[in-house]
Amino acid sequence: MKQCMRNLFNFIIRNGWWLLAVLLIVFSFYLVFTQNSYQRSVYLSSANRVSAELYRLSGKVTSYFYMRKNNEELLTQNAKLQNELQTLKSYLNNLVLDSIQTNPFVDDSTMTARFRFIPANVVNVSFFGSNNYITLDKGLQEGVKSDMGVVSQNGIVGVVLTASDHFSVVIPIVNPKFRLSGKLKNSDNSGSIVWDGEDLHYAQLEQLPKHEVFNKGDTVVTSFSRIFPKDMVIGFVVGQGKTNDDNFNAFKIRLATDFHSLQHVFVIEDIYYEEESILEKSVE
Amino acid sequence: MKITLLREIVWFVALILLQTLVLNRISVFGIAIPVLYIYFLIKLPKNRNLFYVVISGFLMGLIIDIFLNTPGINAAATTIIATLRKPLIDIFFSKVEYEDFVPSIYTETGAFLRYSVVMVLLHQTMLFFIESFTFFNLTSTLIRIGASSVLTLILIVALDSLIYRRISGI
Repeated sequence: MKQCMRNLFNFIIRNGWWLLAVLLIVFSFYLVFTQNSYQRSVYLSSANRVSAELYRLSGKVTSYFYMRKNNEELLTQNAKLQNELQTLKSYLNNLVLDSIQTNPFVDDSTMTARFRFIPANVVNVSFFGSNNYITLDKGLQEGVKSDMGVVSQNGIVGVVLTASDHFSVVIPIVNPKFRLSGKLKNSDNSGSIVWDGEDLHYAQLEQLPKHEVFNKGDTVVTSFSRIFPKDMVIGFVVGQGKTNDDNFNAFKIRLATDFHSLQHVFVIEDIYYEEESILEKSVE
Repeated sequence: MKITLLREIVWFVALILLQTLVLNRISVFGIAIPVLYIYFLIKLPKNRNLFYVVISGFLMGLIIDIFLNTPGINAAATTIIATLRKPLIDIFFSKVEYEDFVPSIYTETGAFLRYSVVMVLLHQTMLFFIESFTFFNLTSTLIRIGASSVLTLILIVALDSLIYRRISGI
């Protein structure tokens, strides 16, 4: 018996590394299958303190490379906003001149904006095959929570997956696990936005009715979404897409957001999100 | 012994930083990503304790996973490679008797290249097929495995040649 035990003990000592290897591999696969769902641990993502800090530091350096491009984009955006401001101002002036008509337009003082925008910086964009994620430098302390929408000045970026105190990880449009419904701006038929895992600049608008037609350059915007406001730009149609299902139509779209040079984004906080989801849950 | 351990720790950290902060931002045509951190396992001495090899491989993969938000993928692939390392070394360097033998491109050029090719190809295949549990497209997966392997091998050969030069002071 004693001899037997000793043999067993020796066997484990000699081949223990094999057992350990098998255990570690099983554990890794456990991570693959559990962590790929939407429930993720903050510690195993780039939102944890050490990796996020490192990314923030290196982001400081690399951000200089894209400064020029980002500046130009900000200028364009600024000009657009100026235009809008001028139009609204002159419109407002007209209303004031005609004093009788202003009364119906007096704001209800209890009305507040439904969406609040939290500015954030991109500290890292990780590309790994098709597993792309974005790390932001704002977290729970700044009001960023999971399931909030993220946009850039050009268009939709993605949805917050998980957040730590000061950082958060975003799952972008350019990840096959991302789903969002979208539609052409001048149409009412919704389809879903799908990324095929190939090119960071293009995605597809699928599951559209067969009779839907497009013009090159048509704007694709968000339709029903609990996360994004209506009519936010996703991208622009560039041509006919590929689809396996003959009953539906698909368009290829160029994404409005450039993920290579992405630096400044806004996280969208929906003030009524909780109220809406509680109400919807109570019906189910 | 202590100096070897220290040097290995420095390599470990340096390769992780290089991989996450530099190499992962290089994405050639959106298909090839150099995965150089496996160089750490390739360069461990032949007679290194196998517990040490497996654990360091697992930790390396897990840390990379944390940085890339790919929980388990790199950890699983790298642990498998760490487990297969010993039999592969025995096959490719069967003539070498020296116990503390470290695979290098200068001492055994042909054997080192064959050994690296097999290690990298296995690693890439594991990586992309484990990743494919969540997303699959055979042609693009195969192209990615091929392109990433070639890129990784070029870097391994370059790095190994560079290190030999520095040590031998040429």
